Amino acid sequence: MLFRRIYQFLIIYFLGVLLLLALKVLLNLSNYVIPGPLSIWQVFVREFQRFLLHVLSTLGVAVIGQITSICLALAVGIIGRQATWFGTFVKVAAYNIQAYPIVAIAPIIFILLGDGFASRLLIAAMICYFPLLLSVMGIMSEPIDDIEHFYRVTGRMRWQLEVKIRAFENLQKLATVISGSATLAMAGTIVAEFIAADAGIGYSIRIALYQSDLAKVLVALFLIGITLSIYQGLLEWVGQWVKQRWASA
Amino acid sequence: MIYRKAMLLALAWLVVSAGLPASAGSAEEKVNYRLKWRFNTSVVGDVYADAHGYFEKEGIDVTVKPGGPERDAIRELELGYAQFGVASADQVIRALSKGARVRVLAQLFQVNPLQWIYRSAQPPITTLADLKGRVIGITFGGNDETIMKTILAKAGIPEGAVTLFSVRYDFTPFYRGKTDLWPVYRNSQGPILSRKLQAGGEAVSFFNPADFGVNFVANSVVTSEKMMAEQPDQVARFIRALLAAWRDALAPQNAEKALSTLAKYDPETPRDIQGEQLRITRGLVREDDGSVGRIDVAAWEQTEAIMMEQKLISAPVSVADALTLGK
Amino acid sequence: MIGATASGGREEAQNGSIMGITCRDISYRYPGTEAFVFRDLSFEMAAPGFNALFGPSGVGKTSLARILCGDIQGYEGKVRLDGIDRLAYSYNLERLPGWSTVGRHLEKIVPASQRSLMAELVPVFGLESCMDQRFSQLSLGQKNRINLIRYLLQGFQLLILDESLANVDEMTRERIILHMKDLFPETYFIYISHNVVEVSRFCRDILVFRGPDKQPSAVVVQGQDLRSSDEIDTTAFERTMLEIMNAV
Repeated sequence: MLFRRIYQFLIIYFLGVLLLLALKVLLNLSNYVIPGPLSIWQVFVREFQRFLLHVLSTLGVAVIGQITSICLALAVGIIGRQATWFGTFVKVAAYNIQAYPIVAIAPIIFILLGDGFASRLLIAAMICYFPLLLSVMGIMSEPIDDIEHFYRVTGRMRWQLEVKIRAFENLQKLATVISGSATLAMAGTIVAEFIAADAGIGYSIRIALYQSDLAKVLVALFLIGITLSIYQGLLEWVGQWVKQRWASA
Repeated sequence: MIYRKAMLLALAWLVVSAGLPASAGSAEEKVNYRLKWRFNTSVVGDVYADAHGYFEKEGIDVTVKPGGPERDAIRELELGYAQFGVASADQVIRALSKGARVRVLAQLFQVNPLQWIYRSAQPPITTLADLKGRVIGITFGGNDETIMKTILAKAGIPEGAVTLFSVRYDFTPFYRGKTDLWPVYRNSQGPILSRKLQAGGEAVSFFNPADFGVNFVANSVVTSEKMMAEQPDQVARFIRALLAAWRDALAPQNAEKALSTLAKYDPETPRDIQGEQLRITRGLVREDDGSVGRIDVAAWEQTEAIMMEQKLISAPVSVADALTLGK
Repeated sequence: MIGATASGGREEAQNGSIMGITCRDISYRYPGTEAFVFRDLSFEMAAPGFNALFGPSGVGKTSLARILCGDIQGYEGKVRLDGIDRLAYSYNLERLPGWSTVGRHLEKIVPASQRSLMAELVPVFGLESCMDQRFSQLSLGQKNRINLIRYLLQGFQLLILDESLANVDEMTRERIILHMKDLFPETYFIYISHNVVEVSRFCRDILVFRGPDKQPSAVVVQGQDLRSSDEIDTTAFERTMLEIMNAV
């Protein structure tokens, strides 16, 4: 699964680059508009190590941001599944925050948290948590009657048990959503770095854009894609492993 | 697999044909003019030309298009989306170093508007050595980084002797006094920031690198080598119309008309601020005799030398060859 | 006796030592529909033991069961449960959570006082080999038996078994029912089944549903209520079956 993800990414990436190069040849464009294969390669060799470190820094923030948003989505999803005043309040708050574009909230975040790690983390988490929240809320508010009935009529139902039953029954769905949200966490972190921060691959891309250096952008995209493929592949693998372990504990 | 290949080919064809220039426009002489930035006082001459029929008088139908951070006029020239554009000197030099065939028609700013604002309560910067010990805002990767590093190198100030502070789009760190110097466009952000600080009882000063011999050229009007070769007459009429508009827009007696024009293109900015912006822009663009557009070859050569020094280009590009002189 | 209430009344006399189930004029429509599932249903199940709801699909057996358990509101008529306060409805599609083995699950939910009873029931139900397995690995019949066993060990006074022995072979089913009658003489069982032979043999009061078009909607037929020690009276048994078939 991991390798399939990687080679599928490579196919997409190289097809994209080939398309650009075809355009370059057909329209006789200079290296300024679309860099040639040689200059892409040279930039790759020159920047690989530095960019890789930046991508890993971004990935680090994305992973922590994703874990944060999973916890947040679980908490909000579990509280929000109740029809209490607080439950609906939490739900409304969660939906409202999502309606605001990050670029509009970003300045407030930077004033409150500065432009370091915390801001990047928060923005990554904010971008990534909502789809998670929707799935968690959907899963958590859908009773599994065939299993839960017994616990209800025997008076054994506790919220922890309810959550456990619904999570277990939807493990596959949860794993898919979580591995999918990795993309959003990564994109969120890059957006944060792009608008603020002075670290990470988003920051490198911003500088490359200042310098009109498409070759650097292409190299950065390559590293982002490959890192993300590996990360998602690992997440899927972990999901599979958890499922097997839980189902045969 | 074959199906996918066919799809991709079809897609490529679509992209290519969409990307092909609409070159049939020459009959009616319809051309696009891509600015560097959004409509504001920095482009007053460009919108003045658009609003008051300067291009029509020369018999060309010009669409003036606002720019922005994602826009790159030189790319659009090559792709045929625009026939004329505004680009900064560093863009031109980078493009030349990558084989782009671009020509400079006129240099709009005689003095780079990219300067640093600081509070007048601080010791004034009269020599470069006065920068020592200050916290200086720079946008990493931006032109201000290139300029400031050149200044520091010129003054022999090691990087450890100043604190460089990473700047983004929001001015809070400067308002809160976390940085001493903050990079601004003297003619657009300058008046707005000055006013805000004055409201808090603080006077401001500007640090202008050109005062210390660092002339990094800013915005210029560019076109493609192809246009120069194939439509020399059209290029001549375009630049004639444009520079006439700039001249008129900046003439003090036309200030009211220029401001009314700006109000249409940039309704967001209050008129009194625009008045101040116009006054400053005039000082940066217009020469004492009222002329505009002079290409300062020495400044271009210095800009290229700076970019070589800062390793922004890997080999000299002989920028003077791309400058269209003799106007 | 507790006084009658308005429509949809439900009474549970919890202090009475005599147990009994009485229903008077129960009518029920699904919410938002006009047609009755059943009308003016009246019956009495006077003593604990095996009773049955019998009838074709869709006549309202499950609806009545859920009315008895209090899961469904919004019916007309009166339900009286005397001396019954621990009651449950169970059905054949129920599942156990998948994260532990069947044995571990039972350990968790069977009270200590019922452990020896469980040890007695497991072989009767033919489930010894299932304890180390996951619920999902069992056959349909095994699943239904596991589900039934856990309900039996909760000390309910009234337990409604909706097709709870479906997919279990006839021999085992008979063994299980006879043992249940011996081991839980004080429990009301309401057995919902489509098997006319089975309900005729083992149940006492059989409420036969006739569909909403007929009046009355249901009649009570006396079954043979066979116990493990009894011999079957073939004539009486055949008469019961005939009565049921005629009633439907």
